[in-house]
Amino acid sequence: MKAIRRAYLYVIRKKGKSVLIFFILLTMATFVLTGLSIQKASQEAQKNLREALGGEFCITVELSESNPYFRMDDDGEGGFELYTELPITEDLINAVMETEGIEKYDASAQTLVSTNMAVFPGNVPLKGDLNQKVYARTVAGTENNSFFQSGIMELTEGDHIAGKVYNAAVISRDLADLNNLKIGDVISLQADKETEVRVIGIYEIRKPDPAFASIATYEKLENQIFIDTAALHDLFGDKTVGFFEVAFMVNDPARLDGIMSEVESLSDIDWRAFQVTADNQTYLDAAAPLQKLQALVSSIIWVIVLVSAVILSLVLIMWGRSRIHETGVFLSLGIGKAGIIGQYLAEVLMIAALAFGCSYFTGNTVAGRIADGLLQQDILAKEGQLNDDVAFDVKEGYGDDVMVSIKDDSALPDVPSGQDTAPEVEVSIDGAEADTKQISVTIGFYNMLQLYFIGIAVIVLSVGVSSMSVMRLKPREILSKMS
Amino acid sequence: MAVLEMKEIFYAYEKGRPVLSNVNTQFDAGKMYAILGPSGSGKTTLLSLIGGLDTPQKGEILFEGGNISQCGLAYHRRNHVSLIFQSYNLIDYMTPIENVALTAKKDVLPMLLRLGLTSGEAKRNVMKLSGGQQQRVAIARALASDTPVILADEPTGNLDEDTAGKIMGILKESAHGLNKCVIVVTHSNELAAQADVVLSLKRGSLHTV
Repeated sequence: MKAIRRAYLYVIRKKGKSVLIFFILLTMATFVLTGLSIQKASQEAQKNLREALGGEFCITVELSESNPYFRMDDDGEGGFELYTELPITEDLINAVMETEGIEKYDASAQTLVSTNMAVFPGNVPLKGDLNQKVYARTVAGTENNSFFQSGIMELTEGDHIAGKVYNAAVISRDLADLNNLKIGDVISLQADKETEVRVIGIYEIRKPDPAFASIATYEKLENQIFIDTAALHDLFGDKTVGFFEVAFMVNDPARLDGIMSEVESLSDIDWRAFQVTADNQTYLDAAAPLQKLQALVSSIIWVIVLVSAVILSLVLIMWGRSRIHETGVFLSLGIGKAGIIGQYLAEVLMIAALAFGCSYFTGNTVAGRIADGLLQQDILAKEGQLNDDVAFDVKEGYGDDVMVSIKDDSALPDVPSGQDTAPEVEVSIDGAEADTKQISVTIGFYNMLQLYFIGIAVIVLSVGVSSMSVMRLKPREILSKMS
Repeated sequence: MAVLEMKEIFYAYEKGRPVLSNVNTQFDAGKMYAILGPSGSGKTTLLSLIGGLDTPQKGEILFEGGNISQCGLAYHRRNHVSLIFQSYNLIDYMTPIENVALTAKKDVLPMLLRLGLTSGEAKRNVMKLSGGQQQRVAIARALASDTPVILADEPTGNLDEDTAGKIMGILKESAHGLNKCVIVVTHSNELAAQADVVLSLKRGSLHTV
C-alpha cells in the first residue's frame, strides 16, 4: 500500500486528530494570510502615495568658485552682479527629460523689467522706478509652471507658452483689460535692452492675494508677465541667459535616487556648473507610517510562522510517540523510513490543503477587520498631518520660494527662507486622499501561493523535527518500546 | 538447500553475558520449526536477528546463501521474511483488508476468508475483532506478503487453547501446503510438538531436541 493511501486512511479514520491539526493549520493560515494581505495593502498604499505625491529633484546653478562659469561683476553702484556663463538651457532640460521616469519639469526665471503698460500699484512704497517695474517670468512652458499647476492662475484665453515660440507673452486678464490688450497685441519690455513681445495667452487669477498683505507692485499677481527664453535673450542682449533652477517631477519617488544618478551620469552636461538636489521629503513623511506598518506586519508574519512551526512540531512529536507502535509495525513489514515519513507528511499536507483553502475565507474576514482599523487609522492620521503640517515649496527661480499651505512653521525645518511678502496659496492633496482611501485589503492569488509555500515549508520542518526522534531508533528498539 | 542459515552468531546486551553465543543452524523450506526456551533465553532476540530487525554483533545470517546485511535489512524484511507477533501488531485505523493489503502482492479477501473471517468482518475496523480473529489477520498479512519465511513470536500467547490449536494448524499448513519455512518461538511444549523440528535455546546455544 502506498504512503498516500495510508495517509488518506489515517486522516479520515483518526478524525479527532485530523480536526485538531486542521484548526491549528487554519489558525496559522488565517493569520499568515491576514499579515500577507495587510502587507500587500500597505505596499499598494505606498505605491499610491508615491504616485499621488510624486517627488522631484532640482538642478540649480552652482554659485561658488567650484563653478568655472560663475562670474561676479561690479555693477558700478556699489553692488555685485552675479551670473553664470553656463545657465540651464533648454537643450540641457531636453537632455535630462530623455531620462526614463521623469514626468515633467518646471523651469522659470524672474527678472524685473520696465514696461510701457499701466500696472496695478502695490501697497509697499519703493524707491525710484521700482514702483513701475514688473516681474517678467521666463518659462519653458506655462502649463507646468507652479502658478498654473497649483490653480492660482488659469489660462482662459489663447495659448500657453510651450515648445519653440519666439517673443511670446502670457498676461493677466486684469492687466489686459487695464491696457485694452487682446491676443495678438504687442507690448514692450525693457531690461538691459528693450524688446517687444506678443500676447499669446491671457490668464485669470483664481486665488487672489490676501486683502491686507503687504505686496510690492512687481509681486502683484495681476502684474506677472510670463515670457519665453527668446524674449529673455533679447532683454539681455549678448549676455548668456537661461534658467537658474529647474525642478523635475518624477512619477515614482522611490526611484528618485536612481533617476538622479542616471541624470548625473549624462556626459554632455558639464556638472561642475550645476547642483542636483532631491526633494522627496513629502513622500518620505507620508510613507513613514506605512513603512512602519509594513515592517511590523513582516515581523508579525515571522512570529506567526515560527510559533506555528513550534506548535505543530510539538503536537506532531506528541503524536509521533503515540504512533511509535505503528512506526514499528511498518518497519517490521519492510516499509522504509522514507515511506513512513512520507506518509506522516502526506497526512498533514492533506489536512493543510483543506485548511489553507478555508483560510481564504477566514483570512479575508479577519484581514478586512484588522486592516480596516490599522490602515485607515494610519491614512487618516497621515491625511490630517498632511493637511495640518506639510508645506510644499515651489521653486520660482533666482532663489525665490513660494510657500504653500503653511499653517505650522515648526513643521518646516528645511523650507528655505522666502520673501516676507511671498504669496500664500494652497495646494490640494485631493489626489492622494482619493487614492489612499480606495485601498482594499483582500487576499489574492499571489497571497494564496505565498501561504502554500510558507505552509509547506513549516509542515516539512515540523514533520522532519517530529520524526527525528523515532527514526533514529532501530526497528528492534521501536518494537521493544512497543512491548 | 537451506533457505536461512545462521553462522557463528554472537549477541550480548551486556559485556561478558552473551544471549546468543556461537549459534549455528539452518532452516529449510516446507518445514515448521519451533524454538523452545525459558523467558529471557534469547528466543525473541534470535527471531529479531533472523527477521532483520537487528544485526548480530558477530557472525552472519544468510538468506538463500546471501548475507542479509548486504541486500539491506529493510529489503530483507519486505521480501524475504514475514513477522507474526504475540500482540498481533495490526494498524488500528485500518480494516483487516487494509492491514493485509499493507504487504499483499495478491487479492487479500480470499486469504482472509480462507483463514475463517467473514467478508463483513474483513471490512470492519480491526480493533473490533476478537483476539483470535486479529491473529488470523496477522497471519493473513504474513501469508499475503508471499515471502518464503514466516517468523512467529509466541503467536498463540494471548489466545485460548482451541484458537491456539487452530492458529498452529494454519501455520503448519502454510509450511507444508505453501512450501514456506515457518519458525515459531514458543515456550509451550504442547504447541512445539506440532512442529517438524524442535530447537531448544539454552545458555545462548541452540540445540535440536
